[in-house]
Amino acid sequence: MRKSKYWYKLDNAAKIFPAVSQDERSNVFRLSFYLDEIVDPDILEQAVNQLLPRFETFSVTLKNGLFWNYFSHNHRPFSVEPEVAQICKYFKPVQNNGYMFKVYYLDNKITLETFHALSDGTGALHFLKSITFNYFKLRGFDLSSDDKILSEKPYSKKESEDNFVSNYDKNNKLNLKEDKAYHITGESFNQHWVLLLKISFHTKSFLKMVKEKYQVTLTQYLTALFAFSIYSESLDFVGKKKPIKALIPVNLRPYFDSVTLRNFSLYIKASYEANKPKWTLEEMLEVTKAQFAEQLDKDILHGRISALVGFEKNFFIRILPLALKTIAFKIGYNILGESISTVSFSNLGIVDLPESMKHKVIDADFVNAGYGIAMTGITIHEKTNILLASPLKDLSIMNFFVQHLVKEGIDVTIDTNYREGYDEIL
Amino acid sequence: MRYCKNCHIHYDTDLDHCMFCNQELEKNEENPSFYKFSIIKKKSRAKFFYRFFIFLNIISALVSIYVDYLSGPPLSWSWVVAVTNGYIIVMFLLMWPASLWTSRLSKIIIVSGLTIILLGLAINDYAWAIDYVFPLAILMNMIILTLLILLNRKKWFEYFGNLLILAIIGLIPGLLNLIDITTVTWPSSATFTYAVVTLLGIFILPSKSSREEFKRRFHI
Repeated sequence: MRKSKYWYKLDNAAKIFPAVSQDERSNVFRLSFYLDEIVDPDILEQAVNQLLPRFETFSVTLKNGLFWNYFSHNHRPFSVEPEVAQICKYFKPVQNNGYMFKVYYLDNKITLETFHALSDGTGALHFLKSITFNYFKLRGFDLSSDDKILSEKPYSKKESEDNFVSNYDKNNKLNLKEDKAYHITGESFNQHWVLLLKISFHTKSFLKMVKEKYQVTLTQYLTALFAFSIYSESLDFVGKKKPIKALIPVNLRPYFDSVTLRNFSLYIKASYEANKPKWTLEEMLEVTKAQFAEQLDKDILHGRISALVGFEKNFFIRILPLALKTIAFKIGYNILGESISTVSFSNLGIVDLPESMKHKVIDADFVNAGYGIAMTGITIHEKTNILLASPLKDLSIMNFFVQHLVKEGIDVTIDTNYREGYDEIL
Repeated sequence: MRYCKNCHIHYDTDLDHCMFCNQELEKNEENPSFYKFSIIKKKSRAKFFYRFFIFLNIISALVSIYVDYLSGPPLSWSWVVAVTNGYIIVMFLLMWPASLWTSRLSKIIIVSGLTIILLGLAINDYAWAIDYVFPLAILMNMIILTLLILLNRKKWFEYFGNLLILAIIGLIPGLLNLIDITTVTWPSSATFTYAVVTLLGIFILPSKSSREEFKRRFHI
């Protein structure tokens, strides 16, 4: 039954985003599916609107309370739009019928751009899979969901649960102090435009290479290579005190038996010191492997969750009016938020589609246009897509990254949102 | 598909040259590549004019104060110009970003009321502003929001926040009256009474849905 009224407190990860988001820092991420046919916008819009009552956590609008923001039910009709040129563009919910996600169409592509306060990559992927499945159903295709499409399953209250709060343990808090990280600087594109470089390769042959040659995982290898590319192309890194830090979001659902569609991920970090005079890729891989093993521990993750939730449970923070909290969040984020990371790498993993849908969704993108160069990964049909999103005009780090993959014997295919002639505009 | 012989990279887009080495790409006509994103257009100059308009108003205020100062203190007419320029800037900033029309209306009425008081102060005749304009503007806005709530009960919670803020502001004219800053009683008393009744209504007569709205708005 469709609920007429409901509301949610923002989860721990979401609380800061409304205060700190703007044109330069949208905190919006993108998921796209490329279909085997041209998208019909009317049917797509119908598909989204039919699904919204099922996806309560997406069918909301952001409201201001006296002390905190909150999500309130939103029953307004949702409109799909033609895709815009700017990837992960900042938008105001009031211009989007109150909704905090956008659904775009372009030729054979359906794109879901989600404000991070609403959900993380895993939650948004469930939503996009359901939208696409419903779209094909409305187009008249007889598809079987194989238990892989959330909208075909009954609603569970656990989908709307704030699992940061439900896993809070006040006796198990870790210290979250973070040192500052090295920053990549350079000239940016105009109009908040973000350059996207999509690097595709065959997953199995890549996994074979990283396992046999380096005994690491795909994520560990790409994290280390990303850091090694920055180290190799940043002439001012060695001798500086700040390390290269790659933040890697970890999906916490498997660790804490969660099925929530709301945010439930936490960053781990791979850190490479600047005081070491020379790094090799092999050394970076060793460091990455060790740091992953150390941080991917349920007790440590639990301690970090508790520390984060403990912060929002602090009495003095709670009683601070929202307007003052917003100012404090802005100042805090400007001082600390971006200073603790050099880059990020978010690997969403495999897009698990029902058998009947596999030939209808031919490719997928996952983009997170964050601070500096943001790397994301998604695997579909034996193919892994690594997407590098950068607001900077300098391509040397990306070039090093791609050239190294080629040197490793990987057959690389590139796609980009760059076009000849863009230099005059951007 | 296209290929860079120099970098050994395949390109699945319609670029003619390699992004990294700028070499011409080899084209495979049997397997053509397409651009898969929306094409960017040149930026409109609207934002420049927006900033230029604000800049002109600031210059206008500063020049007026300077010219007025040259003719000898105390400053007189330039305050009127400066307050007007300030009002135009604030209104422009309020109107530019998208927001709910009820929220805009409340902000416009509050800013306009305060501007009229400032204009009154600038010409050393502010009694009419705080006696009549400010309380009646708040009263009118509270009545509009009350009517909206009564006429559109399904969306009452959309107007609730604004009404609560206005009711609290509506207490000010009554307090000014108590400490003898205002001289005409009835507009301030009417606004104060309406504000008190509204606040009492909000706090004493809560329905299940208004209790829920309180819980949302004041959750800590």
